[in-house]
Amino acid sequence: MDQTILNRIANGDRSAVQECLDTYGGLVWSIARKLLRNSADSEDAVQDVFIDIWKNAGRFDADQASETTFIAMIARRRIIDRIRSMNRRISADSLEDIVYEPTSSGDKTIQVSVEAKEAAAALKDLRPEQLQVLQLSIIEGFSHQEIADATGMPLGTVKTHARRGILAARDLLGLNNGEPYKEVSV
Amino acid sequence: MNDNKNEILTDLLFAKAAYGLTPEETQQLAELEADVNDTSIEMTLAAFSAAHFSDKPEAMPEALRSKILAGADQFFGAEADDRTTDLQPTFTLEPPARTPLTSWLGWAVAALAVAALTTNLYLTQFRPEPQVAGNPPIEQTKPKTPTEMRNELMSSAPDLEKATWSAGKMPDVSGVSGDVIWSDKQQAGYMRLKGLPANDPKKEQYQLWIYEENQGEKTPIDGGVFDVAENGEIIIPIDAKLQAKNPKMFAITIEKPGGVVVSKGEKVAAIAKPDLNPET
Repeated sequence: MDQTILNRIANGDRSAVQECLDTYGGLVWSIARKLLRNSADSEDAVQDVFIDIWKNAGRFDADQASETTFIAMIARRRIIDRIRSMNRRISADSLEDIVYEPTSSGDKTIQVSVEAKEAAAALKDLRPEQLQVLQLSIIEGFSHQEIADATGMPLGTVKTHARRGILAARDLLGLNNGEPYKEVSV
Repeated sequence: MNDNKNEILTDLLFAKAAYGLTPEETQQLAELEADVNDTSIEMTLAAFSAAHFSDKPEAMPEALRSKILAGADQFFGAEADDRTTDLQPTFTLEPPARTPLTSWLGWAVAALAVAALTTNLYLTQFRPEPQVAGNPPIEQTKPKTPTEMRNELMSSAPDLEKATWSAGKMPDVSGVSGDVIWSDKQQAGYMRLKGLPANDPKKEQYQLWIYEENQGEKTPIDGGVFDVAENGEIIIPIDAKLQAKNPKMFAITIEKPGGVVVSKGEKVAAIAKPDLNPET
């Protein structure tokens, strides 16, 4: 079996670093931009994320999760830690951030797209209201109360959709293998 | 564990992965005596996130990429140095004793090396990566301007809906003009605005609202927060927080910094209703 990018990084293959950035840079940057809403904070956070990735590359186990999921998990942890340390949820978009919002990165993200698109296809089987609640909480960082306010759903309904949705998504993505995944200390 | 405890556990694991836990929630999670190392929920959130961005991830800025590569060089360089140190023989030849002059030269060389490294790091932030033998140069994607992105949407979306901005309910914001375009199929759109007064982002910000079929009139969709730095024409991508279908109206309100989840609609700066015969 071919070595993954993370396996190669763990083995000291420096060429894998550039490949990692080409393949996952857009994903990590997109997650940061969406949750932090500010280019300066996002740049700092993304640099921290990649240092975490270099440090934790050796912990990646392809039997437990895809490389894309592993990297997205490290990215989200670091970014959420950062948001909490800043004692805020969502910052204001600056004009620069909006006006100069970059475009999609095209061919450089082919590998992410193949894996993640399979996941996206699987998630289409979620109920629309579950998908909506998960998108608002996971992608936009809205609290359950904010989702209730924005959609007009009762708070209890939002919580139920979130809970059932994430469990259904876990099954659809085949991540419920009954074995706890090793904790990654970052 | 009973069903109720399982639900609480799932809620806490979800909250941990989505927002991070408060100290109280952390305590509650510990009290459930759960296997808190089970990251299947967190992995699901991560996979969901990756799936969401699989279609259109944003390109990382080139300067940031260069910084990360420089950081990686330092990180792996340090690791390699550690390994090299480990492999050093345990006996070494004693260097000749330094005279004051050679000692000074040593410091000078070290200072020059630091200066060279600093210059190199500075330059790598603004210059593309040099071509490395054996590694073909990576073609960089130049970010498109908002005008280019808007034109691209206009030429690629047959279902494009267009609306013209007019003044809202604020007497001092009366000269607003421009338009808004939206594609249901691509879930993308752009506002072209002229005449909105510049705002102080620390005090208030503009926020777009989309009135459409899915959510109904009472709960318009948040279309994103934005600032106006000058009175010239600006083009702003719409950042709809929910899927919008067949918009009936767009409204721009002035809200507190960061925007609001539900607007009281006290300061409506501009309104746009779809044109009957959109001209693309």
